[in-house]
Amino acid sequence: MKKSFLYIASAAALLQLTACEKDRLNPIPTNSIAEASAFDSRLRIEGQVRAIYASIKNSGMYGGRYQIFNDIRGGDFLNERTNVVTGFDVWNYTPSNSSTNSVQNHWSRAYYVINLANVFLDGMASKGTPVVGEALSKNFQGEARLLRAMSYYSLLQLYARPYWDGNGSKPGVPLRLKGNTGSGDYALARATVGEVYNQILDDLNFAEQNLPLNYSSAVLNTTRAHRNTAIALKTRVLLSMRRYADVITEANKIVSAAAPFRAETGVPHALEPAFASLFGVASTTNENILSMPFSSAEAPGTQNQLGYYYGPSAFNGGNGEYSLNPAGILGNADWKATDARRALTTVVGSKTWLAKYADKSGLFVDFAPVIRYAEVLLNLSEALARVNGLDQRAVDLLNAVRRRSDPTTTFAPASADALINLILTERRIELLGEGLAGTDLTRLGLALPAKPGTTAVEPNSQQYIWPISSTELLLNPLMEDN
Amino acid sequence: MHMRKLLFMLVALLCHSLLLLAQTRTVSGTVTDDRGNPLPNVSVQVRGSNQGTVSGPDGTFTLSVPANARILVFSSVGRTAQELTIGTNTSFNVSLQPADRSLDEVVVVGYGTQRRRDVTGNIATIKGGEIANKPVQSFEQALGGRAAGVQITIPSGVLNQPPVIRVRGTNSISLSSYPLVVIDGVPTFTGDVSATNAASNVLASINPNDIESIDIAKDAAATAIYGSRAANGVVFVTTKKGKSGRARVTLDSWVGFSNVQRLPELLDAFQYTDYKNEALRNAGTFSATNQFRLTNGPDGQPINTNWYDYVYRQGVQHSNTLSVSGASDATSYYFSGGFTNQQGIIKRNDFKRLSLLANLDHRVGKVLSVGGKVQYSNEDNLAATSSGALGDAFSTAGLGRVPLVTAPNISPYNNDGSYNYSGALIGVMNNLQGQVGFNNPVIQLDQNRSNAVNQRILTNAYVQLKPFEWMTLRSAYGIDNIWTDNEIYWSPISGEGFASNGLALSQLGKNKSTVWTNTAEFRNTFAEKHYASLLLGVEEQKTDGSGYGLQRTSVNDPAFTNIQGGWSTPNNAGLFIGESYLYSEFARAQYTYNNKYFLSGNLRRDGASQLGANSKYGTFWGASLGWEITRENFWQGAGLDRIFSSFRLRGSYGKVGNIGGLGNFASLSTFGSGLYGGNGTVAFNQAGNDDLTWETSKKLDIGVNFGFLNDRITGEVTYYRNNIDGLLLFVPQPPSAGLPTNIPQNIGAMYNKGVEIDLGAQVINREKFSWNTNFNISFNKNEVTALAPGITNVIGTTGGLESPSITVVGEPIASLFVTRTNGVDPATGRRIFINKAGREVYFQHIAPAGQPRWAYADGSVAPAVSSADAVVHSNTQPKFYGGFDNTFRYGNFELSTLFTFQGGNYIYFGTNAGLRDQRFWNNSTDVLRRWQKAGDQTDVPKAIFGDNISNGSSFPLDMNVFKGDFIKLRTLTLAYSLPSSLVSKARLSSLRFYVNGNNLLIFTDYPGPDPEVSSNGNGTTNFGIDRNTVANQRTITFGLNVGL
Repeated sequence: MKKSFLYIASAAALLQLTACEKDRLNPIPTNSIAEASAFDSRLRIEGQVRAIYASIKNSGMYGGRYQIFNDIRGGDFLNERTNVVTGFDVWNYTPSNSSTNSVQNHWSRAYYVINLANVFLDGMASKGTPVVGEALSKNFQGEARLLRAMSYYSLLQLYARPYWDGNGSKPGVPLRLKGNTGSGDYALARATVGEVYNQILDDLNFAEQNLPLNYSSAVLNTTRAHRNTAIALKTRVLLSMRRYADVITEANKIVSAAAPFRAETGVPHALEPAFASLFGVASTTNENILSMPFSSAEAPGTQNQLGYYYGPSAFNGGNGEYSLNPAGILGNADWKATDARRALTTVVGSKTWLAKYADKSGLFVDFAPVIRYAEVLLNLSEALARVNGLDQRAVDLLNAVRRRSDPTTTFAPASADALINLILTERRIELLGEGLAGTDLTRLGLALPAKPGTTAVEPNSQQYIWPISSTELLLNPLMEDN
Repeated sequence: MHMRKLLFMLVALLCHSLLLLAQTRTVSGTVTDDRGNPLPNVSVQVRGSNQGTVSGPDGTFTLSVPANARILVFSSVGRTAQELTIGTNTSFNVSLQPADRSLDEVVVVGYGTQRRRDVTGNIATIKGGEIANKPVQSFEQALGGRAAGVQITIPSGVLNQPPVIRVRGTNSISLSSYPLVVIDGVPTFTGDVSATNAASNVLASINPNDIESIDIAKDAAATAIYGSRAANGVVFVTTKKGKSGRARVTLDSWVGFSNVQRLPELLDAFQYTDYKNEALRNAGTFSATNQFRLTNGPDGQPINTNWYDYVYRQGVQHSNTLSVSGASDATSYYFSGGFTNQQGIIKRNDFKRLSLLANLDHRVGKVLSVGGKVQYSNEDNLAATSSGALGDAFSTAGLGRVPLVTAPNISPYNNDGSYNYSGALIGVMNNLQGQVGFNNPVIQLDQNRSNAVNQRILTNAYVQLKPFEWMTLRSAYGIDNIWTDNEIYWSPISGEGFASNGLALSQLGKNKSTVWTNTAEFRNTFAEKHYASLLLGVEEQKTDGSGYGLQRTSVNDPAFTNIQGGWSTPNNAGLFIGESYLYSEFARAQYTYNNKYFLSGNLRRDGASQLGANSKYGTFWGASLGWEITRENFWQGAGLDRIFSSFRLRGSYGKVGNIGGLGNFASLSTFGSGLYGGNGTVAFNQAGNDDLTWETSKKLDIGVNFGFLNDRITGEVTYYRNNIDGLLLFVPQPPSAGLPTNIPQNIGAMYNKGVEIDLGAQVINREKFSWNTNFNISFNKNEVTALAPGITNVIGTTGGLESPSITVVGEPIASLFVTRTNGVDPATGRRIFINKAGREVYFQHIAPAGQPRWAYADGSVAPAVSSADAVVHSNTQPKFYGGFDNTFRYGNFELSTLFTFQGGNYIYFGTNAGLRDQRFWNNSTDVLRRWQKAGDQTDVPKAIFGDNISNGSSFPLDMNVFKGDFIKLRTLTLAYSLPSSLVSKARLSSLRFYVNGNNLLIFTDYPGPDPEVSSNGNGTTNFGIDRNTVANQRTITFGLNVGL
């Protein structure tokens, strides 16, 4: 009996030797998809397209912080919290190479988006196109390239000298167009500002040619790029390059010759009658060309939400990180009290706050605006004024934006300069808190304004643009700092 | 057949007791030590019965024994037991020799035990008694200073945070440097299983009072049997088993009080208000609407709040363990139940443990043995909110930080008694400022919870066959199952839960590991002098983890405080799933000649699922030699044997591995799924590596063990060198490469080398008075010798916000990386920085018109100094550390002290940057010596409101680096054992009272509360940081040990 026990034990031990060892040594994760099969179905391919959006929507980017950083580099907001996590150093023009929450994170995130787009484009070329067919493949590639362009554009605005400085000859950012999936030698020098802009335009042109005209729902028309999205973004990019004639050419594709201004093909973009309807949770009007969607299941994350920064606690439960500077656009006498846009500010205590992002659910799930039709109209208006001087269509475009919110005002500027000044002021009112203030200063070579506790930064100053991420400088031997 | 046997036994037993009743006789005698002094408290037992007594103070004893009693057993702690045949004698005079203290001890090695004499690997043994009855949550917290080469750092005063354990230095960069912990033969989970702000060290489920011994294997020979997991050393924990003799019942209880110590001295309300207004004036922004102001409290006096009073407390702690144990010829058993309830020094930080343990071993006949253990434990790890000590150093809720930051001129309560808050933040009261603090800690402490409750079952069972004396076959199966119930609630009133209008989260984390081990062992002695053994085994270990939870925000009614209540969102929380598998074959061979030459070898082949497809298997080995010189004729001929009672040379070399902390699917490239606009996404989220494999440690160990004067003085000196190759680095690529994750590659190299010295002596050993002392010191040098090509360094971050640590080739791991300063300009009060080029740069936060913020000494504009100007500054790895342990016995009194020390390391005292921050933050009283006028010689610059650069908040500065040398009186215990005469009257076998102090004294120049902390816990590349850390508690306990 003892012997049989022995045999059984030995047999069990032997069994153990062989049993399912192989399988167990190669377990397959049950909550992710293997690299090899990522392009196997339309579901996965479109899922990857959405993932690029989801990544550009992420905290560090167009879901909130990119807009906020550009807003607070202007003079219209006051910092209330002196917290570098929420941009105090950006606000007072002192971010350093190692500023985690601004300089480092935005850099990493933008390139993560770029690489996702590159990995996707490579995968479509090698595997994906036959799976979804040529037409759909082109659509998806158009979206990927548009998002890549948006990422590069955001990098140029923060980390590179403006295009006007040396006509694009200054150092831009490393230009990467191939997907990276493994270890390798990733040293790469900065392309020039001009080279990066050319790539952005190339991507947007491709997108314009290959994106669908529209989607099946208003939500998709606002949250996925279509042809007019590419054109609208081009007007912004070209304006930054001061290629005003090209701004006119592009804008005219989606702006009718005369009022009421609207896009005649593709998604019928036009100004919405009610300014307030453009903001908030799930605002998907025809004026919202591209916005980043949020919901309770896709909340923006701590200390990244537009509403959290701009709303005081008594208004929407926000942290009141930034109030409106009384000496900024808020104090502009021509911005009338009856202007509908004043209604999207709120006074709490002694301070006035931006109220565009008013979600009170505690989750701050207001859609983050990326580009609105009103901006396109103002881009066109400014380009017309700069090319043609005192241009009547430019005035009409300006008035279209103004009178939508303030029917009591009709501008009739006496000179081209006066017109341009009105347009620039209008941009600050109309697009307040939508991430245009900083780039409007830098593209025009204007000083970053003095604010309480901080001095103005002249356009030739080192602080005019951000320093390069210290991590990039450490790891990319060809990288140079600003 | 069995039935019959049982019946027979029963009858025999009955007869036996009948006989016992029928006939007895009396024996007596005296027990003495080897020098003839009487020995009290010696157990005198009739073998095979429960008849027994103990010798009295004069060494004499009297005992009634049954007529059929054959053998008397004399035993005493620390002495070799003796057995005498009774025969017809009635008088016995016995002399008990001191036990050969070290060499006859049994040492736990992998898959078995060995006599200390036969061990040639390097294994330190710590007796259970040394760690029992201490005010700790887990046994490793009490190991500090107890063993050479083992460094323990208690990272903070937060209860049950896993201590930092380093066996012979830090042996990994990216993976764990925590040793493998094997409890009763089963490799176990380690680390913090909590998903909340309450720390939950899994090892805390072991009641320290249940531990018989801890053996720490350090070199390759001792660890190689654990192959791929051995590089950081192996800690064997053996729980208590029943000892032969009648049932012993013990009760161990203590109650204690813990306090916070050495907190920084802060500005009071008046100083704060004046100082901050001065800073506003200097910034040019002081005005009627922008200033700090006092507020009168309900008593009409200005509010002057000491925030420490609201956050810290005196913690009351107690622990009770009741055990029953014993053994007969066939069966040994140990049962224990323990309950401890410990309050931390932070309010609402509690630890409660209920533990039950049963160890049972039974011999069924001559060949077959079976046994096993069952341990159940329930640990409540409770906290109100973040302490800032668990890697979240900058948490605005962090209770370590909040009292330092919050303005002292406001109160947690408004004058009407309601909470003072404004939105998420504490209200400013009369201050004309946007913010004068972060969260109101009182609201958090009153309302919020952040708990982790563990249910753990640790069990194993074995079957053992010993068909021949020389052959043992054993199959053992172990299960380790931990369920962690995490629960967080944030009140919507203010603080963390304000923005989301409240939050409730519940998450269940499940971890399970099963181990099946089959071994065959052969051992025999041939021709008297040749002893040989061979162990062969196979083992498989499967580990599964999964978790799920619900996070709800926006509460419908403030009455709802759990996820079951009414909330508006139902989001998921804490989802994870993973598995790993380890398959192993191993062998150990050992040969001893005449107890003079010792030879052993270990071999293990492991296959691990976590590794790359191309490199699943690895082979590890260790070999050692020992030479007991005292047994050589020439030694004896030279008369050296009269000096040395033992003198042994030993050496070992081998190759072991490390995969601790490697993710389950770390080698794979994967695409994860999320949401965009309500639709599914597929994103490239992990870059893998098919060649991912173990880190390899090649360990050399050369040592000498010696004993003088019949081992009254023993010592051990060891040199070791551990070369680690193929260090896994999550190789950071340039961020612009856009990779989702850093790719794990086996690419780095590092070494630790050093010397360990361990000396022990029975200085005095009289009957009335004895003094035992033990001193150990370890010197370690760590140097990183290779990182990945193109990778010049690995930056270590603290709290996700600060990067004061760097790992570079040619320096020890986790060196401090700070920007240099050179004091304060006496003329202008500006902070002087030193930039990368070595030039002095003067900084003023607000520059007067026409002056730059950053200027060279000549006033010309200088580029801004930043972390880009940082230099590799100093090492955080101690050059030496150790312990000094003394036990004095006088009669029934016992005094023991343990000092621990370390030195040669530096600490980045990041808290100090915060304490001098010129935003609204409160400051330490250091700022009272700030620069105020030309000519002031000081280290504190002119106060300019908003300045967070010259103090080191913006980027780390060298002036916040301090030496970390210390000597601590870690424990001091004074105990009194009642004389046996009194005890026996109370029908007890022993009764001991004691008072114990933990962390009573710290001798250090370190300015922070405690140089022995770690803001980043067990982090390897960010060690040596003290950022808003809660200091270790100082505890005094009163206890008693009762034996029945």
